[in-house]
Amino acid sequence: MACSRMMWATRAATYLRISVPFTLRVRGFSSVLRDLKYADSHEWVKVDGISATIGITDHAQDHLGDVVYVELPEVGASISQGSSFGAVESVKATSDVYSPVSGKVIEVNEELNSSPGLINASPYDKGWIIKVEMSDKDETNKLMDSDQYSKFCEEEDAKH
Amino acid sequence: MRIPRSLEVWKMGTVNYLDALKLQEKLVADRKTSKIADTVLSLQHPPTYTLGKRRTDHNLLIPESELKKIGAELCYTQRGGDITFHGPHQAILYPIISLRDIGIGARNYVEKLELTMIELASLYGVRACAGQKGETGVWVGERKIGAIGVRISYGITSHGLAFNIDPDLSYFKHIVPCGIADKEVTSLRKETDSMLPTEEVIQEQLISCFARLFGYSNLIWKEKGSILSDNGENR
Repeated sequence: MACSRMMWATRAATYLRISVPFTLRVRGFSSVLRDLKYADSHEWVKVDGISATIGITDHAQDHLGDVVYVELPEVGASISQGSSFGAVESVKATSDVYSPVSGKVIEVNEELNSSPGLINASPYDKGWIIKVEMSDKDETNKLMDSDQYSKFCEEEDAKH
Repeated sequence: MRIPRSLEVWKMGTVNYLDALKLQEKLVADRKTSKIADTVLSLQHPPTYTLGKRRTDHNLLIPESELKKIGAELCYTQRGGDITFHGPHQAILYPIISLRDIGIGARNYVEKLELTMIELASLYGVRACAGQKGETGVWVGERKIGAIGVRISYGITSHGLAFNIDPDLSYFKHIVPCGIADKEVTSLRKETDSMLPTEEVIQEQLISCFARLFGYSNLIWKEKGSILSDNGENR
């Protein structure tokens, strides 16, 4: 059963890789985007010059359940790689979220105050959480790329 | 191949809410650095109302100043969930476990906490079920018998579940429990005609259900009743 599901997923991924410009890889049922970097706490970061946009991955939102509340940091706050910058609440559980990079918060996604579900519906796009002015671009070298992250997720899911 | 997993169980008797919170913070830090293994605290609280991270204090229906008169305290916490009441004869479990080690997320964890209470209820012939979407917890029909509120930090859990064995349900009248209006709160005592054993036995059964659902094959029981005494003032 799992075998034919993987075959379907691989075929779909191959098809999509040809037809979609930014290359969406499909692993199991969680999507992973090629041009992002990933932390092992399931946050993604998109780097644009010294600016970084951060959110949580599709795998993360799926494992959380429906997000009902997002605790955002203040604009101007300093954050460091690996430390918590906020939290999301789902199914009566608050889960801390961690920054993949260090720097200063320059923007937060205020939409999430009224529509926390954007994190579930659009984790890589409308569900972005914060934007950071990075203090050290080289920190992204410590993060995983999409292939490494996909494998990481598979290994985690296989534990139970 | 499954490696046998160990769970340390702390049987703590009645513990003041804030004392238990401080203990959990320490244990979470210890679990994060692997100083300790997965641990679960089994205890009860004196009458305490608690609020979650969202601070939904509009769901407390009496002024805070009135709480002392009814023998209760109010505590603000970082857990998920709305307002709830904890008190004597309500079994509480606070698992301090690493979700990353077992590869599950918040949703799966909370589902298993619900199942823990559902299984316990079934031991007494009570058919409980998980809540509908947005109503996390354990219900017997339209009546809530078990509540959940969890915090996950670096993949380590704290807070947990509260199962009503036979608490004084009138305390729930002073809140909109879990922010859900028009739904009653119930207890094992109310829902079953069966003879109930001692609460200690019921709490041990709750722990056994938890351990089975989470795949712990080795339980290490520790009597920790004396390490935190009740807050002595005015009790």
